[in-house]
Amino acid sequence: MPFVAARGPDQNMRTLRQTIEVQVLEKHAPAHVVVNAAEEVVYFSTRTGPYLEHPRGAPERQLLGLTRPELRADVRAVLRAAMADRRHVSRRAFLVNDNRRTTVLIDAEPIGGDVTDTPDILLVFRTEPAGETAPSPDETANADVSRTEALERTICELNEKLQTTIEEYETAVEELKSANEEMLSVNEELQSTNEELEASKEELQSLNEELNTINSELTIKVDEIDRAHSDLRNLYESTQIATVFLDKNLVIRQFTPAAHKFFAIRKGDIGRPLTELASVNAFPDLQEQISMVFADGQIIERQFEFGADKLTYLVRLVPYRRSTGEIEGVVVTFFDVSHLARAQAQQEVLIAELNHRVKNMLTVVIGIVRRTLGGQTGPEFTARLLGRLQAMSRIYSLLSEEHWTDIDLGQLVGQEIAAFGPDRIRTEGDGVRVSPDVALPLSMVLHELATNAAKYGALSNTAGHVQVTWAAVGDRLTLGWAEYGGPAVTPREHDGFGVVLMKGQVEHQLGGTLGISFEPAGLRVEIDIPRQ
Amino acid sequence: MSQAGVAPRILIVEDDFVIALDLATQLVGAGYAVCEPARTTAAALQTIDADRPDMALLDVNLGHGETSFDIARGLILRQVPFVFLTGYRPTDLPRDLVEAPVLGKPCPFALLQREIGRLVPG
Repeated sequence: MPFVAARGPDQNMRTLRQTIEVQVLEKHAPAHVVVNAAEEVVYFSTRTGPYLEHPRGAPERQLLGLTRPELRADVRAVLRAAMADRRHVSRRAFLVNDNRRTTVLIDAEPIGGDVTDTPDILLVFRTEPAGETAPSPDETANADVSRTEALERTICELNEKLQTTIEEYETAVEELKSANEEMLSVNEELQSTNEELEASKEELQSLNEELNTINSELTIKVDEIDRAHSDLRNLYESTQIATVFLDKNLVIRQFTPAAHKFFAIRKGDIGRPLTELASVNAFPDLQEQISMVFADGQIIERQFEFGADKLTYLVRLVPYRRSTGEIEGVVVTFFDVSHLARAQAQQEVLIAELNHRVKNMLTVVIGIVRRTLGGQTGPEFTARLLGRLQAMSRIYSLLSEEHWTDIDLGQLVGQEIAAFGPDRIRTEGDGVRVSPDVALPLSMVLHELATNAAKYGALSNTAGHVQVTWAAVGDRLTLGWAEYGGPAVTPREHDGFGVVLMKGQVEHQLGGTLGISFEPAGLRVEIDIPRQ
Repeated sequence: MSQAGVAPRILIVEDDFVIALDLATQLVGAGYAVCEPARTTAAALQTIDADRPDMALLDVNLGHGETSFDIARGLILRQVPFVFLTGYRPTDLPRDLVEAPVLGKPCPFALLQREIGRLVPG
């Protein structure tokens, strides 16, 4: 052994000893195992086969599970005793193999002294030589005695073992009972916990449902607010009414785009005081009036002209009230009331004009009454007067129907002669339109002519007729009145006012000429006036 | 301008013939002399210079948008007194003529006569 020579003699001795020890252990030492505190085998020696066997199923490390059933109670007893008392415990057990009984000596002792609380235990199994298996005949008597002793000892041991087993069993039962009770109480606790959990779960579910409801309500509200907000924004964008919302300190809170026209206000001006805008100088007493609104909550309205086009605006200062009624700000609005102002002015003009016309007409009526009657009375004068007033009334009606614009001369003539028999008055003329200033005097003239014809001329008998013609030539208008088939005509002195009236209307009022001739066939009148 | 014993000469400016005729007839009946009634500014100014009236009765509205304001100004220049006869209110007169005497239409003749007497004494 070369390596032996290489080492010292001590070393060789030690190595030799180790080799011997290993050999002794492997070949001559009894079977033994080492278990830990959990009774798990941590070491097997050789030749443990007679005492241990692997049970069916998964690999087992528990010593008691590995021990042959016949030895199990004894192994348990020595193991527990050695563990509990930390000392060497020895015990005999019996093993029967092929009707041969063998005695097994089981030794258990802690390894490494009692340093640790739960020491590993070394268990040694020794099969005692079977002395009684083949007793010699001369030993029989001795053997009987020793057999009796052995039996008694065995009985004692069995008794002891039984006692231990009973105690262990009782302990186990007790432990099981208390374990069972503990399990029962744990079960009860678990049940009550479970019930509590169920109740909590239900509460959580109902809470969840409530939250869901609240959430959907909130969603609806948010939608409504969104819609209202969008409506407001669209209203702001679309309205032509300039509106500015101010708070107590005249800070701009909101405005409509139309307000830009008055204050040159921009989106970024929200949050700035209105007074900071240079454009506010166009409204010098605005600030003062706003403070008046705050003071007494009154609505202030006033008109003013603004801008290059001098449009008239109505500015309204209205208190902005909270739901509590407290004044929180002022709403300033500008309405374009130019059309109203214009209409008002126009109305004033129209009223003045109407006044004038009414008074003028009354003056004319008074003049006609005075001139027609001329201090005379009687049915004839009354009829003549009423005829003239009715003629005036007719032409006023016609002009009124045409809204005091130009009217058709044919229509005027037709209306004037209607009362005197249209079948006997033939008309012939262009579609000429005349202004009210011309229509009024012409209708008076036609009335005078028709009245005269009915009284003295072509319409005073049954045979005569009248021819009325008119024509527009350049800027002149001519109108002819010719009577045929009436009584012989002569210039008459009666009703001189009629002739004066006709001539005056044509020559004075219309700036034209009126020619009267007394032809053999009848009266003939030629009127020539400017058309204007 | 009026001479003692001679009736004042009055110019009527009026676009409506009936009113002019009625006024003239009444004035003549009351002993006044009247010029040919005028209905336009041009005719009135011509008559003023030709006939030298002692006073004038002016209708404000002469039709076709024409007024007698320029005639009034001409009369002021010539120091001829006048009175407006109008259906309009005195406030409708132009600024320079608001001082002018105004009689409303229709005017009772007695009132007119008194005004004439005030403007053309004796």
